[in-house]
Amino acid sequence: MRQGTQEKTGGETAASRDVVIQVQNLAKSYGATRALTNVSFSVRAGEILAYLGPNGAGKTTTINILCGLLDRDAGQARVCGLDIAEDPVRVKQQIGVVPEESNLYPELSCRRNLEYLGELYGLPRTARKERAESLLTLFDLSDKAAAPFRALSRGLKRRLTVAAALIHSPQVVFLDEPTAGLDVPSARALRSLIRTINRDGATVFLTTHNLAEAEALSHRILILVRGRLVAEGTAVEIRRQVEKTRSLSVTLSADVSERMLRDACPDVRSISLVEGAWRLEVTDVHRATAQLLSFADEHGVRILELNTSTPSLEDAFMTILEGDSGKEEAPP
Amino acid sequence: MSQFVRALFISRKDMESYYSKPPLVTWGLLFPAVLMLAVYVKDPSNYLGVAPGVIAMTLLFGNTSMAAIVVTFEKRSGTLQRLLLAPISSRTILLGKACSAALYGGATSLVLTVGLSLLVGMPIVNPLLLVAALILGAGAFSLLGLAVSASVREVFEAMTLLNFFRFPILFISGVFIPVAHLPTWAKPVAMLSPLTHVVELFRFGLSGQAYFASPAIPAATSVGFLVVSWILAEQAFRRRANQ
Repeated sequence: MRQGTQEKTGGETAASRDVVIQVQNLAKSYGATRALTNVSFSVRAGEILAYLGPNGAGKTTTINILCGLLDRDAGQARVCGLDIAEDPVRVKQQIGVVPEESNLYPELSCRRNLEYLGELYGLPRTARKERAESLLTLFDLSDKAAAPFRALSRGLKRRLTVAAALIHSPQVVFLDEPTAGLDVPSARALRSLIRTINRDGATVFLTTHNLAEAEALSHRILILVRGRLVAEGTAVEIRRQVEKTRSLSVTLSADVSERMLRDACPDVRSISLVEGAWRLEVTDVHRATAQLLSFADEHGVRILELNTSTPSLEDAFMTILEGDSGKEEAPP
Repeated sequence: MSQFVRALFISRKDMESYYSKPPLVTWGLLFPAVLMLAVYVKDPSNYLGVAPGVIAMTLLFGNTSMAAIVVTFEKRSGTLQRLLLAPISSRTILLGKACSAALYGGATSLVLTVGLSLLVGMPIVNPLLLVAALILGAGAFSLLGLAVSASVREVFEAMTLLNFFRFPILFISGVFIPVAHLPTWAKPVAMLSPLTHVVELFRFGLSGQAYFASPAIPAATSVGFLVVSWILAEQAFRRRANQ
């Protein structure tokens, strides 16, 4: 097992300062469509990095370039100190990839799938047999070892696909939507395994649409929109970027219209009615609260409940997306 | 562990997954065996004129089809991506896939040849040339199948493309009509067909008599076709890998 795993909130060790993925000004187009534009970032050893973005943002394109499945148009992409375009075989020896679809060999048993991948990664016979058995045990698949991959449930298929990516004890593991389509227990089990993989020393590059998962698992988050990096930092740092906007939730004793509330609180950014409570996105909570109180007095309405909340990662993500969309739509 | 050993692992896995399945073995053998039986029953004295062509045809259809089906199937199921993600070169993948397809086609044709020899006493005057024809034909045809499969998405597309090439060359490659009996205009065209040279090499191996004066000519040309097929397949695989 490698050393250098960093605790989520802990300090960096010497090993964790090592950069294992270095991307500089990466660009890729499909015909006239620009999938990636000048994307630059780095990932340190032992990190779990969440790479977020809406559909079509360029996440899978980035992973495919870093895994050697796709040629870049411009820029640099180095994994474990090696340029993926110049030395793809050596880079692939250092990385494990879990694609979005569980794509092991349907006709082969779980054990044979792992052993075959061990063969492709050049593991000696005894080592690959031992590694396959230990992964089957770690992923709680020992009782399914002889079952063909096609006979497994979706959750077990996903688990075996993650296990397969670890057969050669890679330094870096790319996980593309690892828990997509899984039920809650399977997703929780897989998240726990991802933590174990990281604790054992692997750097994890994770793409997911599940923001709670990204927040729970990752040390750092990158947000990609339309092929450009628009935010980078820990979940706390990203939330802080949009913290000037806060939510105010108010339940009133009588029906009022959205227009009345807008008139009462002219600075409000957005208003929505969620399960009987008005949700107001505001920049100044104190002023908005005062405005609501005077609105209630004027209209003889009682405030039954009033709550404020800091933005969640999802709120921050949406604010960043909306902000970027506004930039795109603004006239030059 | 060398790339060559990893190519052998790919071949072994393909044999295990696809080529050793009983329906596939019988499918590959049944059609040419029945065809040969029909020829033999009709005219036992002339079957040797057709046998080399039928054996070469078995190689052509078996190898091109199976190589194309396996790769197209793996592309659809996503398992080809597993190979592309592994620390192996596209050349290693190609070698592994070609070896297993060639082994399947070669074994099917060998069983047919040995079966005919045992059942109807078909002569094998030069086993070395027979083996050379099997290896060169199986290799070149497998690689052609792989080149086509890398360029298409669906099995039917691969089969359609292959049939544009396979069916016409049956009539100009000495399979049913010996090259010597072809019209004058067709003879130069026949020389461009890889099947012609494999058929003639089989003729040298089975009866010792062929259109060419020496077996070196079809053997050398078949090696040339093998090299060209390799280059085509490698280019197609490299293009595919970067898409």
